[in-house]
Amino acid sequence: MASEAAYRTNVWVDWCPACGNFGILTAMQRALAELNIPPDKVVDVSGIGCSGKTSHFLNVNGVHNLHGRSIPYAEGIKLANPELTVLVNGGDGDLLGIGMAHFVALGRRNLDIKVIIHDNQVYGLTKGQASPTLRAGQRVKSMPLPNMQDWVNPISVALASGYTFVARAYALWIDDLKEILKAAIKHRGAAVIDVLQPCPTWNNIYTPDFYKQRLYKLDSEKDWDPYVKGPDPKEVAEKLSRAFAKAQEWGDRIPVGIFYANPYVESFVDNVSKVNPMYMQMSPAKNVIAKDDGTPIVDVPTMRAIFKDYIINVRKKHN
Amino acid sequence: MALKEVHLLLGGPQGAGVETSASVLTASLAGLGYGIMSDREYYSNIVGRHSYVHFTISATSFPRSLTYPVELVGAMDAESVLTHFHEVAPGGVLVYDAGVDKTKISQVISMEPEVRERVEARFKEYGLEPTVGNAAKIVEEKLNAHSVPLDFRKILDEARQKLGVSSVEVQRYRNSILLGAAAAVLGVDPEVIRDGLSVRFKGNQKIVNANMVVIGLTMESVPKDVRGLAKLDEPKLDVEEMISASGNDVIGMAKIVGGVRYQSYYPITPASDESVFIEAHQAVSVDGKPVGSIVVFQTEDELAAINSAIGAALTGVRAATATSGPGFSLMAEGLGWAGHNEVPLLITFYQRGGPSTGQPTRGEQADLLFSLFASHGEFPRIVIASGDIEEAFYDTLKALNWAERFQVPVIHLVDKYMANVISAMRMPDPSKVKVDRGKLILKASGPMKRFDLSDPISPRPAIGSGAITWYTGDEHNEWGHISEDPINRVKMYDKRMKKLEIMDQEIPVEERAVYYGDDNADFLLVGWGFVKGAALDALEELKQEGYHGAYLHLKVFSPFPSKYVADILSKFDPKRVIDVEHNYLGQAAKVIEMNTGFEISRFILKYTGRPMYRMELKEAVKRILEGKSVREVLTYGE
Repeated sequence: MASEAAYRTNVWVDWCPACGNFGILTAMQRALAELNIPPDKVVDVSGIGCSGKTSHFLNVNGVHNLHGRSIPYAEGIKLANPELTVLVNGGDGDLLGIGMAHFVALGRRNLDIKVIIHDNQVYGLTKGQASPTLRAGQRVKSMPLPNMQDWVNPISVALASGYTFVARAYALWIDDLKEILKAAIKHRGAAVIDVLQPCPTWNNIYTPDFYKQRLYKLDSEKDWDPYVKGPDPKEVAEKLSRAFAKAQEWGDRIPVGIFYANPYVESFVDNVSKVNPMYMQMSPAKNVIAKDDGTPIVDVPTMRAIFKDYIINVRKKHN
Repeated sequence: MALKEVHLLLGGPQGAGVETSASVLTASLAGLGYGIMSDREYYSNIVGRHSYVHFTISATSFPRSLTYPVELVGAMDAESVLTHFHEVAPGGVLVYDAGVDKTKISQVISMEPEVRERVEARFKEYGLEPTVGNAAKIVEEKLNAHSVPLDFRKILDEARQKLGVSSVEVQRYRNSILLGAAAAVLGVDPEVIRDGLSVRFKGNQKIVNANMVVIGLTMESVPKDVRGLAKLDEPKLDVEEMISASGNDVIGMAKIVGGVRYQSYYPITPASDESVFIEAHQAVSVDGKPVGSIVVFQTEDELAAINSAIGAALTGVRAATATSGPGFSLMAEGLGWAGHNEVPLLITFYQRGGPSTGQPTRGEQADLLFSLFASHGEFPRIVIASGDIEEAFYDTLKALNWAERFQVPVIHLVDKYMANVISAMRMPDPSKVKVDRGKLILKASGPMKRFDLSDPISPRPAIGSGAITWYTGDEHNEWGHISEDPINRVKMYDKRMKKLEIMDQEIPVEERAVYYGDDNADFLLVGWGFVKGAALDALEELKQEGYHGAYLHLKVFSPFPSKYVADILSKFDPKRVIDVEHNYLGQAAKVIEMNTGFEISRFILKYTGRPMYRMELKEAVKRILEGKSVREVLTYGE
């Protein structure tokens, strides 16, 4: 097992004291260490906001990009080099507001990317506006008026979009989050973990106290088993329905844990391989595109072979 | 008398196979050794609206422009006759369906009201009611040309009996009546068309034979006096093989040859066909031996398209996307990220009529300034525009090299005309452009300074190479970590912008602007993109009339070849420098002024959505040279 410290950079972590992001960062470093994935084979892709800085604090390849676009960057990276472990760390605004279309599209593709939602119900770095996970009528401390827009439920959206691993965790329960992260990384397909994360600066509703009184673990429930055991549509439907039902619980009791996991759905990489059987052996990143002398590997004879349907041989003599 | 060059127009409702006929004819005539290009004009519509293909066929060269009138108008329906009968050249032929002879313009419901008004006015001049039969009459009596009504129904009925197919099925071969008519008027052996059909239908003999039956019956129906009326000279091109393809196809080929292994796109006219072409060739293998594997990723929107391509590029893969104006608008933010993070990326930008959705299926070149300035902040980029499909092939290879060598995004400007032109082109030689991957590192280890300041162009370890690197859209330090330090800011800003000078020094000026003409020309046309062919051909014809001009073809707008262009312009009387473009503002002239201080004051512009035709350009040049006008707006073409 690699050491947790191997996944840390020396960049100063400039989050507010007591920010839930610290828990997420630590859980990620521990999960990667326990899974022993070499740092150079991991890419952390992040968007805008406090969560976006995660990439700089992790000693793995980091791509901190535009607001809402982490998932497309991650998809390009994964499809070009399917051997990399690709993680997305984004805020609720980043992934479920400006980036929602990409969030949904990743689910339906079931591409092997792990999405970690830093869900604190506010836009932290722009000073506490309501995010897409804040309920209507709620008013956190920086808001002049109560929220006029209702929330989207990340778990419901993920289930409806086709994610094959859907979980919720609590940022301050680091070991539980770490275990869920490990399960997500090992899962072959698109995974999402909605991490409830207190924002001590702006969010005076969803505080550690709020969560402490309400959170319970799904696997503490008798008979809770989110894992689909075989490619049986009936079982899939049943497990999905139970997960949807659990996703509606938000009040006195809020569940955390794995809602749904189905390893039997073919991933996007599998689908690419089906139409292009040489894809895994010769993924784009493994292609050699030029010969030693610099001429393109697709030379004139190769062009003739590939584009034969477009080549016209001129008749020697007109009619 | 045989002709050096012939022009045809084949028209019919969208979805009736006019485009297929064009590709068959292109392959057929290329197979004989003729040069051929065809422009396809169509509405944003799937089935029913008027579409046509306009050809130039040459015995001596690869044609590079289109012109009117045409030796043959082949019409599948009444609308094609009514829209184009006036474009038949003296001595030329109108071939149409006798079944619509009595059709009045009021019965052609698919015709746009504005077109209808123009057509009605045309008939009024001749004092005739606007009907198909009267159009034929005008062709015969006023245009001194021939009209040939063919009984389409009879031809198809005979074909149906010969082939033993249903009356529904035989309709699939209806467009071959146009092919048969073209073959008859051009005086070519129908077996030549068989070759073209075999190419188009990949040797499917059943389809080829069925079409050949229709072609044979058509040729027999064409009266003797018009057979071979537009016969071409013996072909003089010295080629053994050609590629017959659309501009979309050719750029797709160039991307595969140039090593693009990741292409993302969101469907948009006229760019999508390129991605579809690449997808069809994603498993690149020869004789069962794998050569490469390409991912073509159809994304949920253009934001995802450009950003996923950037992600792929970070892994050391040559990555590209293709789009047109509305899509590029959405890509602007991602473009900035790529520029800021020094990511090599190729964006093939198929300009079409704008603004907004504008004219989705029509051509324009009004996105030059947008390409140069899209995205916020300042960063170096390359903007290159191609003048024809052969240029586009080599420009794609160059663009890919420049992207990696200078670690910048490259915008390759093409347009709808080029996308949809089906042409025969000389077999390109990819060894002419050696692959240059710049400072890409594919094997490394440990954390590395991605933005090492010891050189404006830093070594670029790929993600997955074993190195660990960081990128951010915020200002970064050498490690790629966020930095707001003012001194670091200056160093990083300078590092990026310094590339403008490096590119200016290292990209040869002759690849950025090309002067066509000799030293003692007494006027100069300045243009870019698809204007090239019409400009060069118009100049040749003008020379025969005693006007001695040259053409300056602008190719790279960033880094702009300022000194070279300024030197050329300084040799001309400013009143005899004419900017020729497919837009309203004269955008290239603005770029010239910005870079050289030379103010162009004479313009020939076209923004109807149709290509600039040789004859209208020629006349406009004359009017400007004669001092009759300083700004000509061209409008020919339906």
